[in-house]
Amino acid sequence: MKLLRLFRYLLHHRQTERDLAEEIEFHRAMHSDPRLMGNMTRAREDSRAVWIWPWLQSVWQDVIYTLRSLRKHPGFTMVALLTLGMAIGFNTSFFTVFNALALKPWPVKDPSHVVIVFPQRLQGGFSLPEARYLAAQTRLISGLVATDDWVSHLGFEGFGKGTRMKVTTANFFDVLGISMEVGRGFLPEEDRVESPAKVAVLSYGFWRDHFGGDPKIVGKQVPLDGILFTIVGVASRNYTGINPSQEMLWIPFAAAPILQPLFSPSAVLSKPDYCCLDLAGRLAPGVSRSRAQAELAVLSDQFRTEFKLPPHGIRLTGTTFFERPGAKVEILPVVGLIFLAVTLVFLLACANVGNLLVARAAARQSEIAMRRSLGASRGRIVRQLLTESMVLALGACALGVTLAYWLPNAVAAWVGQPAPFRLAPDSRVLVYALAMAFVACVSFGLAPALQSTRPQRSNTRFPLRSILLATQVAVSVMLLIGAGLLVDGIQKARLQDPGFAVAGVSVISFDMPAGSYEVTRTRAFNARLSNDLKVAMSAESFGLARHEPLSGANSIDSAWLPEHPQPVNVVQQEVSPGYFKVLRIPILAGRNFEPADVGSNAILVNQTLARSFSDQEIRVGKRIMIGRAPREIVGIVKDTYSSRLDRIDPVYYQMFNGVASIPRVLVRSSDAALISAVVSAIDPRVRTQALPLADSVNLSLEASRSGAKIAGMLGAFALILATVGMAGVFAYVVQQRTKEIGIRMALGARPAQAIRLVLGASSRAIVVGLSVGFLAAMPIAHLMQHQLFGVSPFDPVAYLSVALVFAAAGLAASYAPARRASRVDPSSALRYQ
Amino acid sequence: MGRAPEILPGTLDLLILKTLFRGPLHGYGIAHHLKTVSEDILQVGESSLYPALQRLLLNGWVRAEWGASENNRRARFYTLTAGGKKQLAREREQFQTMIGAIQKVLA
Repeated sequence: MKLLRLFRYLLHHRQTERDLAEEIEFHRAMHSDPRLMGNMTRAREDSRAVWIWPWLQSVWQDVIYTLRSLRKHPGFTMVALLTLGMAIGFNTSFFTVFNALALKPWPVKDPSHVVIVFPQRLQGGFSLPEARYLAAQTRLISGLVATDDWVSHLGFEGFGKGTRMKVTTANFFDVLGISMEVGRGFLPEEDRVESPAKVAVLSYGFWRDHFGGDPKIVGKQVPLDGILFTIVGVASRNYTGINPSQEMLWIPFAAAPILQPLFSPSAVLSKPDYCCLDLAGRLAPGVSRSRAQAELAVLSDQFRTEFKLPPHGIRLTGTTFFERPGAKVEILPVVGLIFLAVTLVFLLACANVGNLLVARAAARQSEIAMRRSLGASRGRIVRQLLTESMVLALGACALGVTLAYWLPNAVAAWVGQPAPFRLAPDSRVLVYALAMAFVACVSFGLAPALQSTRPQRSNTRFPLRSILLATQVAVSVMLLIGAGLLVDGIQKARLQDPGFAVAGVSVISFDMPAGSYEVTRTRAFNARLSNDLKVAMSAESFGLARHEPLSGANSIDSAWLPEHPQPVNVVQQEVSPGYFKVLRIPILAGRNFEPADVGSNAILVNQTLARSFSDQEIRVGKRIMIGRAPREIVGIVKDTYSSRLDRIDPVYYQMFNGVASIPRVLVRSSDAALISAVVSAIDPRVRTQALPLADSVNLSLEASRSGAKIAGMLGAFALILATVGMAGVFAYVVQQRTKEIGIRMALGARPAQAIRLVLGASSRAIVVGLSVGFLAAMPIAHLMQHQLFGVSPFDPVAYLSVALVFAAAGLAASYAPARRASRVDPSSALRYQ
Repeated sequence: MGRAPEILPGTLDLLILKTLFRGPLHGYGIAHHLKTVSEDILQVGESSLYPALQRLLLNGWVRAEWGASENNRRARFYTLTAGGKKQLAREREQFQTMIGAIQKVLA
């Protein structure tokens, strides 16, 4: 009750202060001679101190007492701090990454007023003319920015690497409020289609890393794809980028066609249905997001009606990743899994420390009894014990936050995906860590504190110690099974046959001389490539493809039957006849492509596509619609995992026509050198690179493999914690029952029986924990199966090895305590205590 | 405030509780009552009165409410709670015992 009044006071202390001041004021007014009244401020301060001071004082007392007692037990303190500190560290690290990737708004001025503009129907997107129309007509948005992500070559990058840049409207820096380190942003006249200016702004990091932070950079020229652009400014160091690795420099839209000869200038700048630019805007002062959204929707409809385009609606969101349409669905399952894993680790650590505290409280029984008999109330002692937990939890919290400073970057580097920017905890992360510490303190501290101060020690059937032990076992089993499933799944997936030849096949890709390959030249290069390769080797020993299998680049079309207008999403691949030969994909019916098929409507489909229209089997010769074009199926090929490793999509193949892109060449690895020779005879400036196809396969396993590494790390930590926890419990049992063991030994019990006594007491808890752990792991495994490729929920190897590993850990944990139990000397044990 | 004699330590709470036993009163009223009843011997300054009242509030022995004073000004009235009455009885008994003991020593 007193505590309640204290809380009420703390909550309303301003009101109380005012009451007090007014009251004393009244007192003075009533008094005949105010001078006799003494110091008014002092009176107020003393009155206030009545509430706070004794409380503060006793808390301080508890803290001092705790620190002293923790220092006296350095072993306990170390184990508890490390266990909890690492668990909080893992959680905080995870949250740091999540916070940085998903919850942080763009690093721009006043980001709460910046919105991203999405089409309501996500398939569509904005063209520059639509963006310019919206920008010109809107009254509720003070500035609208259109951008597009491109890659160009500055000349010093390695194969396939380019400088990632944003093509933007001239108002980019003004609207987002990005200041300049040196120079200026773009001027409106530099973004006019009729008079394109070859100007560029560098990002701070790019300027520092590649130009040595040259302060006189403004006015200098850099070659982008061999074309000279003049640098007009460097963006502020505070602008770390919307996506840091994607923004090295900016050029205005008007200059874009100069860099991309494969597109005609009119396509990017003036085609009303060009797709898809990114759009962002700043709300005018006092305008709500929904009002602006309604306005833009009307304007967009006007524009699209005028150009006879289907309306796509408008949706405005904030700038954090999490707010993007679809982002939650996309990342929540994976985030959820990791969150589950680190939470389990946290739970495990809490159970561990809880058990340590139970053992410690048992050892302090006499101390607690003495304090009670000296007049301390139970609540007072519970509070003191909780202070101990809180001090431990706060220490662990400090340790955890320190860990979170380097762990995310270290782990990212370890799994081979270095973070594009430094991940460091911010204030939100700090609050999260403190909340964890608080939860930890209550969850591991409260129960032991209540139990150890209970007046008479009740002999419950399930002592707290056993419950905690079972929890530890169950949680670590769940974590270990999760890790085991991932690791074993990856092993299997690596050995699995994707349905096409991988071993001994190489993928050759080309890096064209920047900027010089426009449509005619591309077509000529492709024609010569096919011809010269046919001369150099048999037509069946090389395959051209727009993308190699498992490249991650799949273009999706919709297919339907004229008589059955229910479309099916299908993956498109553009290949030459040799593709099926080199990859040993059998053609089950019909024929392969022939030279005459270039540009014709002949397609091959895989078995899955042939089965995709429920009511009828598709046969060779069938005509189907793909997009708006009628196609004729001339062959059916065997299903392969060519688009992704975890499932077979319906796929259709069309003949590679060599108009819009430079192909990849698939050959036996022994022929790879020959291709380079052929290509450098066509154009010596073209660079070639040969990589084993196995690399692509491995790359598609990358996410699962990173997951396996992290899960393995957490699993190992869980195993260590569980082992330490079990060892602690065993040791505690031996200590508690030394006398009993001594008597039994004196009566002729053999050491083996003593050991059984020790282990038997905890074995039920361990068995319960194991069963709960195995059962609870199953739904988790099910969840993992959907998110991480290669995991199968019923993997006997994983389950069995977890059971074995756990048995080994149990043995290791019981070794020292059992040994001690078997060596109990009856005479000294009876004198003990 | 060296002119007025010190109130015996620990007795101020008792005196306030006793004063409030007669009925709700504001801070000034309490001080005034103590002064008049004791024939000007007990002069309680605000720097000891208000901390004491806060202490009684914290312990739940009194309740405070805003009301109108006799001259129609806003004043904070303190009322004895049930716990306060018990406390009064307890303190009174302790005080009697203590005074008795002291008198025995002084006699």
